[in-house]
Amino acid sequence: MHERLSFYAKRDSVLHRLNPLTKLTLVFGFVLISFLTPFYWTPHLLILFGVMPLSFLGKVAREYFNASLRLILPAAGFLFIMQALFQPLEGQELFHIWFLHPTKESVMFAFRNAMRIFVMVSSFTLFLLTTHPSELMSDLSRRGLPGQFAYVIISTLQILPQMQAKAQTIIAAQRSRGLDTESSFLRRAGSLIPLVGPLVFGSLVEVEERAIAIEARGFTSTRLKTSLHDIPDTNSDRLIRWTLAVLVLVSLAVRLWLL
Amino acid sequence: MAIVNLQNVTYKYPLTSSPALRDVSLQIDEGEFVALVGANGAGKSTLCYTLAGFVPHFFKGELTGTVEVAGIETHASMLNEWVMNVGLAFQNPFNQISGAKYTVFEEVAFGLENIGVPRDEMISRVEAAMKLTDISDLAERSPYSLSGGQQQRVALTSILVMQPKILVLDEPTSQMDPIGTREVFGVIRKMAEQGMTVILVEHKVEWIAQFADRVIALKDGQVLLEGIPGEVLTAPILEESGFGISRYTSVARKAQELSLWKKDKLPVTLDEAVEGFDSLLPQGEGTGMRAK
Repeated sequence: MHERLSFYAKRDSVLHRLNPLTKLTLVFGFVLISFLTPFYWTPHLLILFGVMPLSFLGKVAREYFNASLRLILPAAGFLFIMQALFQPLEGQELFHIWFLHPTKESVMFAFRNAMRIFVMVSSFTLFLLTTHPSELMSDLSRRGLPGQFAYVIISTLQILPQMQAKAQTIIAAQRSRGLDTESSFLRRAGSLIPLVGPLVFGSLVEVEERAIAIEARGFTSTRLKTSLHDIPDTNSDRLIRWTLAVLVLVSLAVRLWLL
Repeated sequence: MAIVNLQNVTYKYPLTSSPALRDVSLQIDEGEFVALVGANGAGKSTLCYTLAGFVPHFFKGELTGTVEVAGIETHASMLNEWVMNVGLAFQNPFNQISGAKYTVFEEVAFGLENIGVPRDEMISRVEAAMKLTDISDLAERSPYSLSGGQQQRVALTSILVMQPKILVLDEPTSQMDPIGTREVFGVIRKMAEQGMTVILVEHKVEWIAQFADRVIALKDGQVLLEGIPGEVLTAPILEESGFGISRYTSVARKAQELSLWKKDKLPVTLDEAVEGFDSLLPQGEGTGMRAK
């Protein structure tokens, strides 16, 4: 029951203490820069000198490299291979097997695209590792995100594992009454149908009760909400955000006018 | 002074043909501890929802008659105005957990955040409420990792912390063990003594007899009986309506048929039963036993 849909790793680090919006700005800044920049090596340098050092700064390097190796590298690697082999770019042919003839240009192109994806996914991973979802949501609602919207996001993260647990309970209960879970696929699929009813209707009843419960605790109160967590937003936070914004604009400008 | 005033209230849920409440009139005074009893489907929960403003604002349907709670009349108000006056906790604790919070402490603070209580005051109120219901040691746990009884305490605490004038509780101890039930009843009693009005739905008859000031028995959406616990809970008509009576009452009633019970009043609790049977024994042979 402790399972959560959250990557958050609790540490005490500079990165953890940054305002959630600042970290979100960092993520989007990195992604935009790596896609906008006209210089070939920018995404690679961003990973080496941006995201990776930050993971050490946030004391989540182990989790970060773990996720990179298991999740991001296979995805980016697949993208690289596909594009390198099938992107029809004219140029210096590297080798020729059957109908495959990758060129130097197509390999370069694929490598940069893979790195862009790597920047995107790995900076999001770093963000999720160092930002508690409820802090993110309180900060965003303090900045004007509607409370209902924040609630939907965060309760989904919490309630999905609960629903999963409930589905397991229902399956166990039905199995103890002779539900067939081991014969052919079609038969098993058929025998799952009676399980869906209780899960769906049960959830609908729950939604009504939960609506009453949060309403009884002033969810739609028209007063200005306050927050239990005091989420600091310092001058350095603002500085980082503005710097990132400027860097994004510079990348855009360079792409549009200089090259 | 009556803080709850219902006059000829009849209510029908949408898409149903027969009313869930029929011509209910009742007054409840400030600081009173009232227990609602009745068989399943007697209208207890509907009455709770009415007192908390959810009927008709949340459930819609037709409501006739007047409902006035803490000076607010139901038809002339919005649901979110009721929250400040009436706290509602109900049976299933799992569904009362907001789902938006990761620790019990945050969960209890959820309501205070919504009504805009300043941060320092919020923390001290949450701490005080958690101490009152004895869940301080759960503060950092995830609300979903708790047992049913613990979750019920969290649900109750989350309402108490909002300091409503009226506390409406629909079977708040249904998943608790006897010790937990006793503690929670102690807390509710204390709130009533501090001037909070308590309206409680409960099946545990012996507890009602010990703690409530008044009992209202419902049947088919109507008020069947109303009075002090000792009278209402031993009334034969209550048993006929499908609501269980205490085993001490049934034993004494049997004894009465055999002319072994000499008192006029039948007992509801163990203490009363012991006292009644004790007086039957010849002087000196009484056990003198009292339930602790």
